[in-house]
Amino acid sequence: MDFFVHLAEGFIGMFQKGGQTFIGLVTGIIPTLICLITAVNAFVKFVGEERIERVAAKCTHNMILRYTVFPVLSMFFLTNPMAYTFGKFLPEHQKPAFYDSAVSFCHPITGLFPHANPAELFVYMGIATGITQLGLSLGPLAIRYFIVGIIVVLIRGIVTEFITKQMMRRREVRAAA
Amino acid sequence: MSSYRAVQVTKGSGGWGGPLTILPTEEKPYIASVTGGGIHPVAERIAELTGGIAIDGFSSKVEPDEMACVVIDCGGTARCGVYPKLGVLTVDVTPASPSGPLMNFIKESNFVSGVQVSNVGLPGEAAAAEAVEQQKKSAQELKAEARAKVAQLQGQQAPHKPNFIEKIGRAMGKVVGIFYQAGRDTVDQVLRNILPFMAFVSTIIGIILYTGIGDVLANVIKPLAGNMIGLLIISIVCALPFLSPLLGPGAVIAQVVGVLVGVEIGRGNIPPQLALPALFAINPQVGCDFVPVGLTLGEAKPETIEVGVPAVLISRQITGPLAVVIAYIMSIGLYSN
Repeated sequence: MDFFVHLAEGFIGMFQKGGQTFIGLVTGIIPTLICLITAVNAFVKFVGEERIERVAAKCTHNMILRYTVFPVLSMFFLTNPMAYTFGKFLPEHQKPAFYDSAVSFCHPITGLFPHANPAELFVYMGIATGITQLGLSLGPLAIRYFIVGIIVVLIRGIVTEFITKQMMRRREVRAAA
Repeated sequence: MSSYRAVQVTKGSGGWGGPLTILPTEEKPYIASVTGGGIHPVAERIAELTGGIAIDGFSSKVEPDEMACVVIDCGGTARCGVYPKLGVLTVDVTPASPSGPLMNFIKESNFVSGVQVSNVGLPGEAAAAEAVEQQKKSAQELKAEARAKVAQLQGQQAPHKPNFIEKIGRAMGKVVGIFYQAGRDTVDQVLRNILPFMAFVSTIIGIILYTGIGDVLANVIKPLAGNMIGLLIISIVCALPFLSPLLGPGAVIAQVVGVLVGVEIGRGNIPPQLALPALFAINPQVGCDFVPVGLTLGEAKPETIEVGVPAVLISRQITGPLAVVIAYIMSIGLYSN
């Protein structure tokens, strides 16, 4: 009998531990998250899509801006997955590169601006909860994640654009032959 | 030919629903504007294009079954549900999505929101027919002139210029409406996306921490995620072009691995400064499953998509591990004291 009691306690204990974690996440993260996302959502609505489109379209000609400011703006204002619609401002050979750089930013942005991709927060937050458990502040990690994100996104854009151009050229040659 | 013409109203920025085609009839000539402070420009525009009669729904009573459509500025509680329920086509000038006690009655076929004057236009077919209309333009012009006169007359009767207080009231209403809608969107996201994932994550963490699985996992994760070489290996494997599209969907794998690594960081098995390179190591496959869809959203041609998919996957094989190296360099000094 004792064995069964022990088993039952062990079984329920597992979920009590899970429940504690859940309460920790809900009370620790959700309230701030709700206020932050509400404010940013309202800001995005105030600014309006047309204005963003106008600004964003100006960033497309310069290679550096195209794979830094442009994907950041699109991810911040249009959020995942609508951000990729901004590819329409680019010529065909730059579209895969833009997609690559924009989609690569959909997690680095969540450290500071979780509204951009609320369904996939735990890439960042999973690791961040470990940092919180150690009693360390999340600010430095979130900011560095954002900055490294921009650097990586820039490199990805340039590399993918290069590869796309090569492949398109090879395809043309093959078609001509 | 009836004296009324159909217009198409599409949703505006941040709006929902529609497009609606509005065609007044003899029985339903009114474009009711229930916006407070006179007739809203959107209602005026619809009336101008359709030949219907714009009317201020606050200052004069209109029966719902006499309305061709109703223009409202409801941020999303009462009015935006009432009119769809009454069977009236509803044009909401604030960008609200279905909500409130009557949200079940709000459909894309009877409700459109976020509408501005520029969203009101002739339907696609009418645009083609415009060439024909050019010939009849004199008649159309006469009508338009007459209508403008009527509008002027009506304008003189009704308090057309909104006074100062009304302006403030409208501006306040708009701000409050936007915040309210933003809050609603947020809570919706939390309920639909964030809380379910938290439940999933908490359950996993609970099982890991309570049972001995944690120690077993630590033995697997620590040699991989606990040092730079291991992180590089993870990123190279996850970026393999035949593997990355399989690991991508919903970022579920990245999220679960993120949680596992987080747990080990919390338990002290992995140094916290590795959190930054780890974030990139577990995620070189981000969006690899979504390339064709993402490119289609960007209006890419089919040939571009054919090239784009392998281009992104190959690029990841290079940039994935590179990202880990950059993150490692940038993590110098992170959590070091």
